[in-house]
Amino acid sequence: MISRLKNDFLIPTTFIFIILALFPLIGAPRNWILYAFLFFIYLAMANMWNLLAGYSGLISLCQPAFLGLAGYAMTIGTWIGIPWWIGMTGGAIIAAFFAFLLSRAVFRLSGIYFAIGTLVVPEALRMIFYLWKPVGGAMHGAGAGYMLKGIEGVSQNTIFWLAAIVGIGSVYLIRIIIRSKLGLGLSSIRDNQRTAASIGINVFRVKLYTFLISAFVTGLAGAIYYLNQGYIEPSATFNVRWTMIMLLATVIGGIRTEEGPIIGTIIIVILYFALARYAGYSFLIQGIILILIMLISPEGIMGIIKKFLLFAKR
Amino acid sequence: MNDILTPILMGIMLGGLYALISLGLSLLFGVMRFINLAHGDFVILGSYLGYGILTYFGFDPVIGLVISVPLMFGLGFLIQKYLMSRAFEVSSDTPLIIAFGLSLIIQNANQIAWTPLSRGINTGYSNASFFIGSLQFPVVYLLDLLVGILVMLLLREFLTRTYLGRAITAASQDKKAAELMGINSKRVYGYAFAIAMALTAIGGVFLGMTFPFTPTSGISFLTIAFGTVIIGGLGSMWGTFIGGIILGVMQTLGGYFFGPASQMLVVYLIVLIILAVRPQGLFGR
Repeated sequence: MISRLKNDFLIPTTFIFIILALFPLIGAPRNWILYAFLFFIYLAMANMWNLLAGYSGLISLCQPAFLGLAGYAMTIGTWIGIPWWIGMTGGAIIAAFFAFLLSRAVFRLSGIYFAIGTLVVPEALRMIFYLWKPVGGAMHGAGAGYMLKGIEGVSQNTIFWLAAIVGIGSVYLIRIIIRSKLGLGLSSIRDNQRTAASIGINVFRVKLYTFLISAFVTGLAGAIYYLNQGYIEPSATFNVRWTMIMLLATVIGGIRTEEGPIIGTIIIVILYFALARYAGYSFLIQGIILILIMLISPEGIMGIIKKFLLFAKR
Repeated sequence: MNDILTPILMGIMLGGLYALISLGLSLLFGVMRFINLAHGDFVILGSYLGYGILTYFGFDPVIGLVISVPLMFGLGFLIQKYLMSRAFEVSSDTPLIIAFGLSLIIQNANQIAWTPLSRGINTGYSNASFFIGSLQFPVVYLLDLLVGILVMLLLREFLTRTYLGRAITAASQDKKAAELMGINSKRVYGYAFAIAMALTAIGGVFLGMTFPFTPTSGISFLTIAFGTVIIGGLGSMWGTFIGGIILGVMQTLGGYFFGPASQMLVVYLIVLIILAVRPQGLFGR
C-alpha cells in the first residue's frame, strides 16, 4: 500500500504543478504568482537539502554559500558583459566547484562537526563580500551590494517559468537519483557506512556526488531568485535564514521522504504570507512547529499521513 | 613595539570574555557530546536579560545576575527535561535539529520583544579606562578577563570537589559505568544543561557590556564559542580558557594587520582551518 502511495504521489503533484506553472497565462493575481515563484524556489532548495540531510546523512548548513555564490557570479557577470543566462548556469557551476573544494575539508568531519564546519562557511563568505567589492559602481546596502545590469529585457514570465522548471525538475531529479545506482549507494551508506564501504561502495565519492548535485541545483535556484529580485547584497544572501527555510520545509514535511519537502514547502509559503505582516512571528511559529514535529513524529507530516493510511486500511 | 602590545593585551582580555561565553558550550559537549547550535542565541538572551534588568529596574547588570542566572538555570533544566532528553532517544540528528528550532524561537522572540535594533549595556563604568604604562584600555575588558578566570576556576572546583560536579564528570567519562555506580544520569544531564545555561547568562551580560548586539548576533558568538572550544580541546576547562585567549589575540592581531573590518573574518578562517586540519583541537587527544 505504501509503495503504491509512493508511486502515485507524482501524478496529482504534477497536476498541481502544471496549474501553478500556468498562473501567468490564466491571469492569476500578481501576489499569487509571487507565492508560486517562491514555492518553486524553496521547493528546489528544500529537495536538495533533503538529498543531503535525509538521504546522505550530511546535515549541511552551508547552502546559502551555494545560492549566494551563484547569485553573485550572475550579477557580477552582468556588469562585465556576460549575458544573465550564461551567468546563471556558470554561477551554478561555480557553486558546484566551490562545493568540490569545500568537500576536501568538511568531508573529514562527521555529524555535528560537519554541521558546525559548514555553518561557518556562509558567515565567512558574508565577511568576504562585505570587504571585497569585485566591480565598482552603484552600491545597494552594505558591502558588495549590486543591481543586476541589463536585465530589463527579461520578462517576469520567463523568470517565473525558470523557477517552475527548477522546482518541478528537482522533484523528478530526486526521484531519478533515489532509483539510480547512486541512490542505492546512498541507502546502503545510510543503513551502515562500514558495511557499504566493505562491499565496495566508494563512500566518499557517493557523498561527493550528492554534495555537487545539491550545490548546483541550489545555486541555480538562488540565481533565479536574485534574477527576480534584481539586486544582491551580502547580509541577506549569506544568511542562515535560507538554511532555516530549507530545514523547516524538509523536516516539517518529512525528512527522508520524497513528498516531504513538497508538503513542507507549501506550509512554509502559506505561513510566510499569512504572517507577513507580523515580522518575526512567522519564524517563531515555524520553530515551535519544528520542535513539536521532531518530538511527535520525526518523519514529519508525511510520517503522520503514512501511519494514518496504514491504520485506515486495516 | 608599544603599537603591537596594545592589540595583544586587548586580545588577551577579550579572550577572557570568549572563554566566559564558551564554558557552557564546552561543559555540554564534554558531558553529552552535544554541540548546542542555539548556544549563541542563549548568550544573546542573557545579554538582553541584563539589558532589560538595567533598563526597567535600574539594577547594575552584574547585580542583575542574581535574577537572570536562576532564570536561565531553570530554563535550562526544563529544556533538558522536556526536549533534549526525548530528542536523544529519537535519533542522533534530532537534538541538532531541535537546537536549531530553539535558536529560531529565541532569535525571533528577542526580535519581537526588543526590536531588531542594535543594543548595548551601558553602565557607569562602561566608558571608564585604565592604564598599563602609557597604554589605555577599557575597564570592561579587564572585567571580562577577571570574571572569565574566576568563573572558569569556580566551575573547575565545582566539577572536581562537589558530589554533583563529580557525578557530572563521571557521567561524561562513561555514562553506563556512572549509572552502575548509582548516578541518575538523566538528573545529572538536567543539572549540566542548567549550569551551562546559567553560564551563558553570565557570559551574555559581559558580552553586552563589551560589544553591541542584535537578535541575530547569536550565530557569530556561536562560531566564536565553537572556535574557542575546538582550539582548547573538548571538555577541558583550562583548554577552553586558553582557546579563548588564542582566538582573542588572533582576532585583535588580525584587526591590527588587516584593518578592523576583517577581524571576524580572521576568526572564521581560523575556525575553518582548525576544523579541516585538527578537528580534535590543538590540545585534544
